Amino acid sequence: MKVKGHFSRYAPKSSIDIGVFLCKCGGNISHTVDIRRLKSSIDAKVVKEFENLCSIKCQRNIRDVILEEELDRVVIVACSPITHEKTFRNHVAPLNPYLLEMANIREQCSWVHSDMDKATEKAISLTNAAIERVKYARPLDAIVRKTKKSAAVIGGGISGITAALSIAKQGIKVHIIEEKPTVGGNMIKIGKVFSPEKLAEECALCLFNPLINEAVQHKNINIITNAELKSSQRKTGNFSLLVERRPSFVKEDKCMACGNCAEVCPVDVPNEWNEKLMFRKAIYKPFPQSVPDVYTIDEENCIKCGKCQKVCTMKAIDLEMKGEIIPLNVGSVVIATGHKGFDLEKRPEYGYCRNEDVITQMELARIMGVNGPTNGKLLKPSDGKVPRRVVMVQCAGSRDEKPGGKRYCSRVCCMVALKHANFIRRYYPETEIIICYTDMRTPGMYENYFRHVQSKEIKLIRGRPGEIVKIDDTIVVRVEDTLKGEQVEIETDMVVLSEAMEPSKGTIKVAETLNVGLTEDLFVKEKHPKIRPVTTDVEGIYVCGTAQGPKDITDSVSQANAAASKVSEIMNGGLEIEPTIAVVDNYKCDICGECVKACKYKAIYMHDERISVDPIACTGCGICISKCKNKAVEVMGQTDSQIFAMIFGLLKDKKEGERRILAFVDYIGYVAADNIGINRISYPESVRIIRIPSINRLMPKHVLFAFENGADGIFLGEYPDDIMYPDIQAKVQEIRSELLRNSIDPDRLLYYKVYAPYFRGLANKLTEFDKQVSKALDKLEPVLYKASSKDL
Amino acid sequence: MNTLKIGENTFELAQIIIKDLKASENIGILKCIQCGMCTSLCPAARHTDYDPREIVKRVLDKDESLITDDIIWNCFYCYTCHSVCPVNNSACEVNQILRQKAIDNGKGKPKIAPFSAYGDSFLEYGLGAIPNDFFDHLLKDYGKEWLQLKVDLEDIREELGLGPILLPEKDVNDINKILEKTGFTKRLERVRRCKDEGNSR
Amino acid sequence: MKEIPDKEILLFKSCLVNVEYPGVESSTRFLFDKLGIEYIVSERQSCCTGLGHYSDLFDQFSTAALAARNFGIARELGHKNIATLCATCYAILKKSGNILNKQDHIRDSINKILDDSGVPDLKYNLEDMDSRSNIFHAVEILYNKVDEIQDLVEVDLSEIKVAAHHACHYCKVHHKDTIGNVRDPMVMETLARACGVQTVNWYDRKTNTCGNGFRQRYMNKDLSFSITAEKLMSLKENEVDILLHMCPNCQLQFDRNQKVIGESFGTEFNIICLNVSQFLALALGADPYKVVGIQTHTVPVEPILDKIKQIIHAYEV
Repeated sequence: MKVKGHFSRYAPKSSIDIGVFLCKCGGNISHTVDIRRLKSSIDAKVVKEFENLCSIKCQRNIRDVILEEELDRVVIVACSPITHEKTFRNHVAPLNPYLLEMANIREQCSWVHSDMDKATEKAISLTNAAIERVKYARPLDAIVRKTKKSAAVIGGGISGITAALSIAKQGIKVHIIEEKPTVGGNMIKIGKVFSPEKLAEECALCLFNPLINEAVQHKNINIITNAELKSSQRKTGNFSLLVERRPSFVKEDKCMACGNCAEVCPVDVPNEWNEKLMFRKAIYKPFPQSVPDVYTIDEENCIKCGKCQKVCTMKAIDLEMKGEIIPLNVGSVVIATGHKGFDLEKRPEYGYCRNEDVITQMELARIMGVNGPTNGKLLKPSDGKVPRRVVMVQCAGSRDEKPGGKRYCSRVCCMVALKHANFIRRYYPETEIIICYTDMRTPGMYENYFRHVQSKEIKLIRGRPGEIVKIDDTIVVRVEDTLKGEQVEIETDMVVLSEAMEPSKGTIKVAETLNVGLTEDLFVKEKHPKIRPVTTDVEGIYVCGTAQGPKDITDSVSQANAAASKVSEIMNGGLEIEPTIAVVDNYKCDICGECVKACKYKAIYMHDERISVDPIACTGCGICISKCKNKAVEVMGQTDSQIFAMIFGLLKDKKEGERRILAFVDYIGYVAADNIGINRISYPESVRIIRIPSINRLMPKHVLFAFENGADGIFLGEYPDDIMYPDIQAKVQEIRSELLRNSIDPDRLLYYKVYAPYFRGLANKLTEFDKQVSKALDKLEPVLYKASSKDL
Repeated sequence: MNTLKIGENTFELAQIIIKDLKASENIGILKCIQCGMCTSLCPAARHTDYDPREIVKRVLDKDESLITDDIIWNCFYCYTCHSVCPVNNSACEVNQILRQKAIDNGKGKPKIAPFSAYGDSFLEYGLGAIPNDFFDHLLKDYGKEWLQLKVDLEDIREELGLGPILLPEKDVNDINKILEKTGFTKRLERVRRCKDEGNSR
Repeated sequence: MKEIPDKEILLFKSCLVNVEYPGVESSTRFLFDKLGIEYIVSERQSCCTGLGHYSDLFDQFSTAALAARNFGIARELGHKNIATLCATCYAILKKSGNILNKQDHIRDSINKILDDSGVPDLKYNLEDMDSRSNIFHAVEILYNKVDEIQDLVEVDLSEIKVAAHHACHYCKVHHKDTIGNVRDPMVMETLARACGVQTVNWYDRKTNTCGNGFRQRYMNKDLSFSITAEKLMSLKENEVDILLHMCPNCQLQFDRNQKVIGESFGTEFNIICLNVSQFLALALGADPYKVVGIQTHTVPVEPILDKIKQIIHAYEV
């Protein structure tokens, strides 16, 4: 037989014993398909029919037959594999589950056709195809991912600490890598935080500090401060990280945090933790509750005078201390690198750099913090007096398409402004509050808080200020009151800019080191914003908190817990992965790297001069096969032989004058096709559907082989909203030009975007295409493609 | 009260503006959220009833009376609104286009008639020159030294080592041909006619 | 920052500079010569249409056609980098360049007109001019040489206080191409500081228009002057000696009208208006009358000359 030459590589043993089990489905199939005729047409060792093959009794029966007859392969001729393939696979043991093939003669035959004769003929060819295909099936074992039971969390803010605690409590070792000398991030700087449920503010430190202490004491958590991620390598589902730890020049185990050293230190440095509103020394502890509770020398500013060393009774200070490189081998990484405030130098018209009393919300948060520069008193930085009026300017840097601006809404600023307004109105009733806003955005329960703060008498002016200037001793905010349509100059003695949130430098750097994708706005991009909100485009790396986009503490904590459970999923789940993924033959591979470039799922990567496939990330789409010059890649369960055999099987009994259309569809396309059947809509009997992982798996040779063996038309259907869609378009183009080169009318090929709920569209398209093909065949003398052995 | 009838395309005027040659690529007029940042910095809005935010609103409401409204002649073309608009809209460009519409429909021609001399000098020399009509009026503000400067200009330019101001004759002819074909010459005639009518009245 | 050329420059003449402040052109040429910037001036170049264009007299199509002609001249002369002396020329040429590159049908019809007008050699080929990398303001060419300028300063200006008025049509129209921050470019301050002068980096109304407003100066004089006055008041409060300009429209507005505006407010401003090129030329020792052309100014520049002290270079001693 001619066809065998094309897929001889894994040619089946000379005689394979195949058992075919037919299901009547209580009439669902047998009322339309002539089971007797079907049965008599089948060439197999055993052919048996059942009323309801999926019933437990019948399933047991299948097993008995396999054992009695010593079958090598099984074909189930029944319903859709989407619903029942798993069930039947479980019942073919001791046969390997992948030695089973299903012919879907219900959803894609008896339910869509009414002419018994034609339906039966189609059922025969569907069964033949399954028999041909199953001959080339190979036993496959589920892949068990060996992931190291440890994780790295980068960033020790509220998101990082939350994620680390949750991971640790699920029995996994966690390393927290924090670039600063203390954990706590942005949240620890904020005095009071707003809450969705209560109309009152809560103390940030009181909420967060217990979590930090818990993390410090947890046996599964290792906190590395003063540290930065230097490099990362993927290795069979694990990550080899190198972390650089800067010297702190203070021995952690000896320092008692008495503070004598800082008292004698002669160097004053603006204190970042207090938004540079105060000074600290070159040897310092960022804030009283810093964790770890030790002093640190900031190398950049220390003059190495040695005064601190002299007063340290514990001899904890070592000015010669060197940094260290810490290698970590972890199974997963969580990015929790957070955000920073918008650089207000980019909006000079707001005078942030010219006027001490124009401050940011974060600075106001420090000023209002009882552990802040004014011990919680609202005082103007310029003269230490209580402001008579505070004007807040929303969207400072947010919702701004101009150079340097952020297009997005920073999500928290409206609530932050209201929180501070409420606070000021409560403790400083003499101080007026004016908020200049474009839209007040307080979604969900936060609206209650908004109303509550409104009742405290705050003035809202709808308009985006253009300029903030100082005239004599008064600050003037120039704005249009858009509801009145008049220009207003608001006199005030203090202005608070609600600065946009932007990704921290660490976020951008860590993403680069880990080769994780970023959004246009440089936040870490999630794999899918709806269904994979904490998964990055690299399998095993997750993201949470403001590293992923602007959000409040509530959402950051939810995301952190979600990321932790994803980590636990791959470590505690005993993950078994479908083996239908790409496999690289290292003897044939010359490591050109084309497959690595082509795979947008980042499933293929280079490691130790070998190409490796991450079984979790790989979808088995097969794009890598078409990029591989050396034919070193295969997708298990979707080998060329299997595809050729299926095509051959669907066409081998084609009669004179009959039309046959092969429809290659992806998973969504197959589901849509099933839905056509479930809804009893019809399409031409000429259509034979073949399920493939993606059009990217197809190559021109498959299509040409189909035409050569009598296919009249080829239909390609796939769900388009995937990152690989551009490649699908390229693939369709490639196939089309190959047809032209072989003088095959391109009207005999069609690509259609399939959506699962729009199955009617698919049915219509299949019907239309059948007509189109018929016309194309009338138009031209059919030109037969002669396959040259070189192509195959 | 105004009734918004079903089926009325209120975006017609905005679409005309978006398609105009004067409009920047991707002008953000449809994204305007009426934040008023333009107005907060607008020099004309500070001293007149002109409000760039409102102009944009009226365009988005397809208020065609805007074209004949004197308010559009208050803009300074300083582009401040254009340079700060958070959605890349440009009230300044919108205004320029509206004025062109006003000129096209006749109402705007008297407004630009006093400036027809810019066109005359262009056709004559290929250069722009302050319209003669305003000379006396400027002289009053600038002082008589300015008149002396005009008299001494050639000497001063020579002292500064600068070449001739005027273009070669052939180039002036080329420019005339070009402006004839772009339709400018005809446009200028129509504006001039309107000016003469104004004068005779 | 964008890349700024220092050769193959066509110094684009300005109508207002020609007749009002010719010293701006001679000062720029003086600086370009000193800094070794290779440039030419073409007598064939026409006006950009700016004054007429922004008085709504010229239509965009005619303006673009004339720009195409000027671009053709620049190309023919092998000096494709245009440096304007006027902010309006800068904005007009950039806009026209963008239209000619992006709107195929406009380019085609303009090319047909150039063909039919007997100047087929001046036709515009796609991408002949890149608005960002070929069209500059002369100030940008100088800004690129700020270090060299610093080394060439010959006079002591430390007692003088200057402020800058960055022209709207330089910084606001094509804001993506503006050097520095659109809302406070600091280009002229940076150049001035290189000469050792004190600069007022921010003053109220700094980003305001000059108030000329094209038609407004003629048709709504009071409105125009009230805008100019706001800025003059703020400058006076900041005790500014010199206001630096980069556009003859603004310079004209502040220099020629200053006296009348002062009278209506019962004050004298005495703020000298110099184009930044004129100022730099003075700093580099140019002759005030034979190069800088201060004789065409209305607010007398002479008082400042007394404040300027010659630096005695070490090598001269």
